[in-house]
Amino acid sequence: MNITIENKEALWLLRLADTSMILGQRLCEMCSKGPFLEEDIALSNISLDLIGRAEELYKIVSKLDGEKFTPDQYVYHRNERQYYNIKLVEQENIDFAWTIARQFLHDIYAKEIFSQLESSKNVELAGLSTKVLKEISYNLSHATDWMYRLGLGTEESNKRLQDAVDHLLKYTSEIFKWDDLDRLYYSDCDKIEKVWNTEVNRVLGEINIKRKEVPELSMRDFRDGFHSEHIGHLLSIMQYLPRAYPDAKW
Amino acid sequence: MVASNIHKENQHLWELLSEVPDPEIPVINLVELGVVREVKIENEKVIVTVTPTYTGCPAKKLFNDLILEKLHKNGYADVEIITVLSPAWNTDWLSDETKQKMLDDGISPPTHDNAVVVCPNCKSTNTKTISDFGSTPCQSLYSCIDCLEPFNYFKCHR
Repeated sequence: MNITIENKEALWLLRLADTSMILGQRLCEMCSKGPFLEEDIALSNISLDLIGRAEELYKIVSKLDGEKFTPDQYVYHRNERQYYNIKLVEQENIDFAWTIARQFLHDIYAKEIFSQLESSKNVELAGLSTKVLKEISYNLSHATDWMYRLGLGTEESNKRLQDAVDHLLKYTSEIFKWDDLDRLYYSDCDKIEKVWNTEVNRVLGEINIKRKEVPELSMRDFRDGFHSEHIGHLLSIMQYLPRAYPDAKW
Repeated sequence: MVASNIHKENQHLWELLSEVPDPEIPVINLVELGVVREVKIENEKVIVTVTPTYTGCPAKKLFNDLILEKLHKNGYADVEIITVLSPAWNTDWLSDETKQKMLDDGISPPTHDNAVVVCPNCKSTNTKTISDFGSTPCQSLYSCIDCLEPFNYFKCHR
């Protein structure tokens, strides 16, 4: 199956759908591996929110592009270079601090973009944005709460969170290298970066985590389908069943 | 909010749908929960408009299956379900009566911004959060400081 998308709004929206989907899949990996039962349930719930959000976004993508493909087909039948998620969300669950830091950095971004998209000209996207913002507020408060606990916890938890933040920040600068599509569909791209920086700096400053200057990665942009080395492994697990058994039904 | 949507001419349909329980909280039906938004008949086809509680709610598909099953069983062969996301579902749509049913069933009902959480066991408001996320996307885990009972709280979503 060769999935091609022509509508430019659909192509742009795929970035958001893929970002939700890949982060949802990453969090799924934590199911049964949480540090304790309640936290395990929390991570799985957030994963569910992300996958549900992705599904609704793929439905809009499908509609915009003439309903040639279903959400499942977008998810299970595209290869690495056809995925347009931000690289941040495909980073691995090295330890719990990584899972939390990745979620925190993502949720602040998600909160601002969906706030702007509440006034999108696409009424379905606007409606969905209002809906997902309610979910994001719980997700972000969960991640933020853990950022405080880990940052201000023990020497060990602080060190692990610092390691995670140092690594993950390398993958965030590409988010703010806006292209024409971003500028067309977001109401204020520069504000997204400003809000993100303010909030990240505020929290890191309060929890004894340094925001170090990170050198630019020599990796090409996610908007062109470029990724870190992790995406292939993630897709091979996520897509295995429908690719091996194309007629499988729940 | 929900009650005002009930249109006299399709009252029979609304009554049927009021018999469809929420699969996770069977004391509440899908009309009370606010999932069923509109019911109409066009050219002998029943069109039911629904809105999901949470985008990733695992019961999303089950809601539709249960609605279809109910209407088919009662002689409505031609049924279409339309899902809308706007206006977004919120807990302000739950009536006081619905909230009381929840409480009687052992689920603490939502309050504005989760300000006051009542223990369904001893009715104390001296309670604490165990986790914002619980057994379903719409519930949090709490426990009562007075009677020590752990319980589910239906979280505020607005």
